[in-house]
Amino acid sequence: MSEINSIASNYIASGANIAQISPASFVRADLEKKFSRRVMAWYGIIFFLALWQAAPYLGLADARFIPPLSAVLAEAWSLMATGEFFIHVASSTQRALLGLFAAVAVSIPLGVALAGFFPRIARFIVPLLSLLGNINPFALFPLFILLFGVGELAKLAIIFWASLFPMLNFTIYGVANMDSAILKTAKSMGASPKSLFWKVILPGSLPAILTGFRLGATTAFLFLIAAEMLSANSGMGYLVHNASLNYRIPRIYVGVLGIALLGMAMSLLIDKLEKAFLSYKEEAQAA
Amino acid sequence: MKNQSRAADAFWGGFYKFGSIVLFVALWQLSCAAGLAPETFVASPVTIVKTLGNYILDGSLWRHSSISLSRAFYGFLLSTLVAVPLGFLLGGWHKNFERIVGPLLIFLGQFNPFALFSIFLLLFGIGETSKIALIFWVAIWPILYNVSMGVKNVDPLLVKLARSMGLGRLGLLRKIVIPSSASFIFNGLRLAAATSFFMLIPAEMMGASKGLGWLIINAQINYQIPKLYAGTVTIVVFGVLIDAFFRLLERKIVAWRQPLNL
Repeated sequence: MSEINSIASNYIASGANIAQISPASFVRADLEKKFSRRVMAWYGIIFFLALWQAAPYLGLADARFIPPLSAVLAEAWSLMATGEFFIHVASSTQRALLGLFAAVAVSIPLGVALAGFFPRIARFIVPLLSLLGNINPFALFPLFILLFGVGELAKLAIIFWASLFPMLNFTIYGVANMDSAILKTAKSMGASPKSLFWKVILPGSLPAILTGFRLGATTAFLFLIAAEMLSANSGMGYLVHNASLNYRIPRIYVGVLGIALLGMAMSLLIDKLEKAFLSYKEEAQAA
Repeated sequence: MKNQSRAADAFWGGFYKFGSIVLFVALWQLSCAAGLAPETFVASPVTIVKTLGNYILDGSLWRHSSISLSRAFYGFLLSTLVAVPLGFLLGGWHKNFERIVGPLLIFLGQFNPFALFSIFLLLFGIGETSKIALIFWVAIWPILYNVSMGVKNVDPLLVKLARSMGLGRLGLLRKIVIPSSASFIFNGLRLAAATSFFMLIPAEMMGASKGLGWLIINAQINYQIPKLYAGTVTIVVFGVLIDAFFRLLERKIVAWRQPLNL
């Protein structure tokens, strides 16, 4: 799903380029074109939502199984009015943040230390790490339940596991593939290991680290929902699962839409984060 | 001398490639044998291999695996049939189509497959259809993305050249677009196959009575630790095999393309 996001950023990028190169006299025409493109971008989504609303009335779908959009929104409103919706959002967000934070705290220092200061050990251990990263976190879920019980710890462990390996592997990759001239220059100027870490290795591998973070966060969120569906008593996954057990169909759709919006919000936040951290890169491109 | 150094190279190459995995398995076995790992939670590699052997001999492993693999295969096949042509359309075969449908697909791509699984269960029942629908849903995105990227990355010079030589649309597709985007397409197919198998496991854990995902969740519920580990190892092995198969296929079919050395 994260791949689809980059289609999105591609769209935005191509639009921005057109605006930059157009001469002043074409700006108006260009604006119109851009506007019509923006509108066109919404056509598909609006058509989809309209079809959803209309389908039960047109007899295309059974309203019991596919309730119209209005019924779903009404259910969403009532869930929000009681505040129940936000409790689930908060508990999912809290789990995701805790698990991600733990994974970041382990993977980035470990990856930088391994690849930056012990490259031989890093080379030795990378095959094992990529094998472990290939293990389906779900295959391990029963094991985690055995080891950590059905409480919060099992869910945090699955988020930790799912996000740890992308981050660790990308960090090692980023550090190992850094421009060696920069490293050598810094070393020959007598940089201490500490300043080498903060001033050279960390900034130099940041783009790869952030890619790993995005990948890890996306996977973690995906698995969080599934983990909450399998065993939890709060959270967005639980909301959907509980609604489907109790046959409250509109509520299922509220949950599904809520999860999609939460995922979108997360990926927007990571976009912002990337922009903030990599601001020096953009300046170089503009110059 | 030369032979010796070549042997040494091969040794060090193998050492770096498999050394850590061998060491990991060896430590695992030793800590189980020494009683450091509690037997109630951790099965030793030797026990796992023995259990696997038993399940292979009585045919139950193959029964569950073949069900899982065929589910993954049908979902994957379906998504390939839909996503490859759609990817060509999205990659610029038709500009307005791309502009209208692209954002909708981005929106739909945000939907969590597990949350949707509840809806699929409602719509298609608890039979095979809902699981295949889930796999279809997760496998479609990598193919769509990679095929459309591949088509976008076709060298425009080649397209212009072929056009000026009077090649029609179909010829253009067959002679220029497909060959030059082939490695992207294969990449998409490989990712989609991996994702299909990956997502099948939780789907089988949530609603199935057969298959590898069911095997491990059932083993956990019944507290059959060696069976749980054996199932997990089987899933890992199949995941690695599927990946290797598609890499091999790509190397055989897209032989003209130099591999990207990342």
